[in-house]
Amino acid sequence: MKRRSFVSWGTAGLVALCSGISVSLAAVVRFLTPSVFYEPPQTFKIGNPADFSYGPPTFLADEKIFVFRNPEKGFAVASAVCTHLGCTVGYFQSDERFHCPCHGSVFNADGAVEHGPAPRPLEWFEVTLARDGQLQVDKDHAVPASYRLVVSS
Amino acid sequence: MNPLREVWQSIVRRDPLSTDKGKSELVFLNVWLHIHPAKVKKENLKVKHTFYLGFITFFLFLILVTTGVALMVYYRPQSPQAYQDMKDLQFVVYLGSFLRNMHRWAAHGMVICVFLHMCRVFYTGSYKRPRQFNWVIGVVLFLLTLGLSFTGYLLPWDQLAFWAITVGTNIGSYAPLMGARIRELLLGGHSVGESALLRFYVLHVAVLPVLMTLLTMVHFWRVRKDGGLSRPVWKLKEEKSAQLVTIGASDTNAALAAVPASKDKTYGLMEVVTGKPIFETVSMEEEEDTVFSYPYAFFREGIALLVTVTTVMAVSLFWKAPLEELANPAKTPNPAKAPWYFLGLQELVSHSALLGGVIVPTLAVLVLIAIPYIDSNPSRRPADRKWAIRAFTLFVVVNVVLIIVGTFFRGPGWAMVPPWVHITGAE
Repeated sequence: MKRRSFVSWGTAGLVALCSGISVSLAAVVRFLTPSVFYEPPQTFKIGNPADFSYGPPTFLADEKIFVFRNPEKGFAVASAVCTHLGCTVGYFQSDERFHCPCHGSVFNADGAVEHGPAPRPLEWFEVTLARDGQLQVDKDHAVPASYRLVVSS
Repeated sequence: MNPLREVWQSIVRRDPLSTDKGKSELVFLNVWLHIHPAKVKKENLKVKHTFYLGFITFFLFLILVTTGVALMVYYRPQSPQAYQDMKDLQFVVYLGSFLRNMHRWAAHGMVICVFLHMCRVFYTGSYKRPRQFNWVIGVVLFLLTLGLSFTGYLLPWDQLAFWAITVGTNIGSYAPLMGARIRELLLGGHSVGESALLRFYVLHVAVLPVLMTLLTMVHFWRVRKDGGLSRPVWKLKEEKSAQLVTIGASDTNAALAAVPASKDKTYGLMEVVTGKPIFETVSMEEEEDTVFSYPYAFFREGIALLVTVTTVMAVSLFWKAPLEELANPAKTPNPAKAPWYFLGLQELVSHSALLGGVIVPTLAVLVLIAIPYIDSNPSRRPADRKWAIRAFTLFVVVNVVLIIVGTFFRGPGWAMVPPWVHITGAE
């Protein structure tokens, strides 16, 4: 075999090998990525406005959210998932703060970090009124902490 | 010839063990025992040099495989059946609780022993040429041990499991660019759930054990080819020690010293090659320092196996593996702690997730892997390696202190508490 053809065939072979490995790796990663997530929907209804009392927020354990209701300001929904490592925070009425049990992060009533390793404030989610009059939360739609849904009773 | 004797002879194919030839054939005609040379150095058999930590780690792995296969018979990786199966193992299945205890304590023991083994190899300088890459394989085996332990941690599907894995996988998601993607691939979703349980199960019972077995084989084979366990060279006579300290270190093609042939030995010419062997060889002068692997090495290894199994069984009789209530994604226990060997990391993470969860551990692993290549000092004598020993000791002490702080001094809200709070339950 001539040197020129050896080099060209060799290069072609190497390129084919590398491409084959890359395609296979990409296929493995794609295979491991689920096409469907069998997880609870990110948009869900939480009940009628009248179900929620004024004062301390209502904690919905399955959805991991706090629902705030204020006479003047209306409804707001905060995530109960700590932005540090995903633990579920608790709301303490005594100091009106969110406390994370894992690493001691403390968030104020607006969800801003006051203390601890949490890198970001707690998330707030869009809450709207569905056609059937129930409150509907969209966890895929983050809103500023100042966002409120005012429902005229 | 007696037909039974003929069948026996066809199986063992060796001379009687009363002869030296029989003893050596027992080793090199047997696929399992071939991991040893026919003869080993006396110095290698001393407990105080290796503490048999490599063997003990391997024996713990065998216990884990055996008990793990037994536990698989009663375990379904689904929620909430996984937790029910744990309860069944604990209260219904004959010997179920005992086997699960053995599995759990052997796993903890393996993490400890593999770490101690790494320390021993470092302190005796056994990672030096030509064993550099075997150290790298050892570090990978250490990481696989942690991976096996971590993936197994989720399987009971109790509160301890759920939150330890939630915290652990969230630490990984801080890795730049790929972190969140890797977490999604690992969990098969956005949070710890049914998919995560199945994926961790597959990793725990198939992928990681196969990798572990393959790498362990390579690890053992390289130890064998590199002249067996490394000897404490500083205890050898000055002249011989100097040879072994620098063995394989020379880049020159100097001819090997001529060794007078022994009259009592038969030599076979296997192959004629030029150049110097990279591995340690037993020269004729060292013959008197060697003994047959059978029975001397095997007897001691048998004792190590017996001690390991007995200890794990005894511990399992008296201490139960923990099982908390069913995993509840809505209720985080306070404090939520990772497995103890990750509590040093969690302590760092409690200050900064990126620094403690990604940067420091990544650097630590890279430095560990690079040790044999950074350390250019060919000497294995402790007196010549003071700085290396000090640096490694600092690394070990920092790790141990962080783990102790995370385990005993952290209470609710990750606040500092005195250690007796964990015992008395009161502050």
